Amino acid sequence: MIIPLLKVTNLSKSYDNIVGCKNISMSLYPGEVLGIVGESGSGKTTLINCLSGNLEPDRGKIIFNINNKETDFLNISESEKRKFIRTDLAFVHQNPRDGLRLNVSAGGNIGEKLMSVGYRHYGNIRSLATKWVNKVEIDKSRIDDLPITFSGGMLQRLQIAKNLITSPNVIFMDEPTGGLDVSVQARVLDLIRSLVNELNLTVIIVSHDLAVIRLLADKMIVMKNGTVIESGLSDQVLEDPQQEYTQLLVSSVLHV
Amino acid sequence: MRKTNNVIKIKDFKVDKGLPFDQEYNFAYLDENTKKMIRRAIIKALCIPGYQVPFASREMPMPYGWGTGGVQVTASCLTKRDTLKIIDQGADDTTNAVSIRNFFKKTSNIKTTEITEKATLIQTRHRIPETPLKKKQIFVYQVPIPEPLAFLEPKVSETIKMHSLSEYGAMHVKLYEDISKNGHIETAYAYPVKTNDRYIMDPSPIPKFDNPKMNNSPAIQLFGAGREQRIYAIPPYTKVKSLDFEDYPFDPFKAEHACDICGSKNTYLDEIIVDDAGNKSFICSDTDFCNKRKNK
Repeated sequence: MIIPLLKVTNLSKSYDNIVGCKNISMSLYPGEVLGIVGESGSGKTTLINCLSGNLEPDRGKIIFNINNKETDFLNISESEKRKFIRTDLAFVHQNPRDGLRLNVSAGGNIGEKLMSVGYRHYGNIRSLATKWVNKVEIDKSRIDDLPITFSGGMLQRLQIAKNLITSPNVIFMDEPTGGLDVSVQARVLDLIRSLVNELNLTVIIVSHDLAVIRLLADKMIVMKNGTVIESGLSDQVLEDPQQEYTQLLVSSVLHV
Repeated sequence: MRKTNNVIKIKDFKVDKGLPFDQEYNFAYLDENTKKMIRRAIIKALCIPGYQVPFASREMPMPYGWGTGGVQVTASCLTKRDTLKIIDQGADDTTNAVSIRNFFKKTSNIKTTEITEKATLIQTRHRIPETPLKKKQIFVYQVPIPEPLAFLEPKVSETIKMHSLSEYGAMHVKLYEDISKNGHIETAYAYPVKTNDRYIMDPSPIPKFDNPKMNNSPAIQLFGAGREQRIYAIPPYTKVKSLDFEDYPFDPFKAEHACDICGSKNTYLDEIIVDDAGNKSFICSDTDFCNKRKNK
């Protein structure tokens, strides 16, 4: 039997009287890409923020099982939690400016992640950073340039490199193609897809764009008003939606 | 009773001897309760080497950036038996040094000296003397920005957390940037150090040439930041290590010259432009050390 990498039980989070998400239960297996869809305000971001340690949920359990070591994410000390987030998790923000230091060069941004897990050899950091800059299709002559000189697509690719360089076990992506124009979106998605296949990544990706989910996700959950209303294999959910809201969502995709 | 009006009387003003002792001030200017509060912060700082202790910094009769933190620490440590030395960029005769020395002469009437060995308490801006510090000396640094992580993380709540959990990986980013831009670590002053294998600390803007002098020093080293309201310390005989990379070790750089006055080859030098043709001269920044060598 395969043990889930991440098991969530009855997770709830509200902001005063406003429900963020309510009684969410789900599991995620190694090598799986899980898509979370739903309209604005449906609780997608609240959920992903709770799972990645950015927010403290009110109730529920989050258990990570990495290399047969169980981590009760909500009941560990702050220092253990931050270490776990640093070494085992990664978070790709919708706006790459939130995930990068704009006054630090591209190489420095990528290298920071390595230095934070203990790398102290400049040559090694530099060569790994160069390798990853190449991997995300940024010209390596740009490695010492500041991110403010990069285009939106390049910034997002840089943020992805920064997050993947330490081989995290779970990667969270919050609308990774949100602010990009369509052709750049396609390129970034293509990159994510090839990295997912090549490195066998485990990813939770939040998006309201069903095309993104269809392209990347093995499984998906549909959220509305803070609860999960439908879940399953993404092909199955997208081809044969059961809930009224999911049907509406699927039928509202524009076909050009 | 005399009026408690502390205006300086012009007729008493003698530039060469400093200001006369004014007995209407409490000893060393600060009131005793403030000194007690600052001493408590200092004791806490000595117990946790490199840890920044907040304290209720007072308004001082000088602008922020002129050593208000250092002056408060000095005032709190000063006793009537002390001999005080004040240096600014290594020199005893520069504006900041002269004004602070006069301030303590006026408010505490203690002995002052320019000779490092004779001083029991030394307040400094930007240098550690070339003459090694010794046991029972207190060495006070003036600190403009106490937080070494400030350039990376502007949120104080976050830097406090980073210190408490020793999350210092990002600290090397600055050094990485230096090497990738210049091929070597360009940071020449305020070079970050790790104190007692625990806290990362800003040594104040001393040249990195002076960093090794902090390591295992027999003197008590105190750091005061007035505007930022922080005191931190290095107790005697504490390990202080400058950050570096395995393949780019720390290098205490100095100009490749000998002093043009005393001929010293292993002291920190000031570069001085001497004419309009761009000719320059290198002289010791530590005036006391240079004078002593010259007179030998």
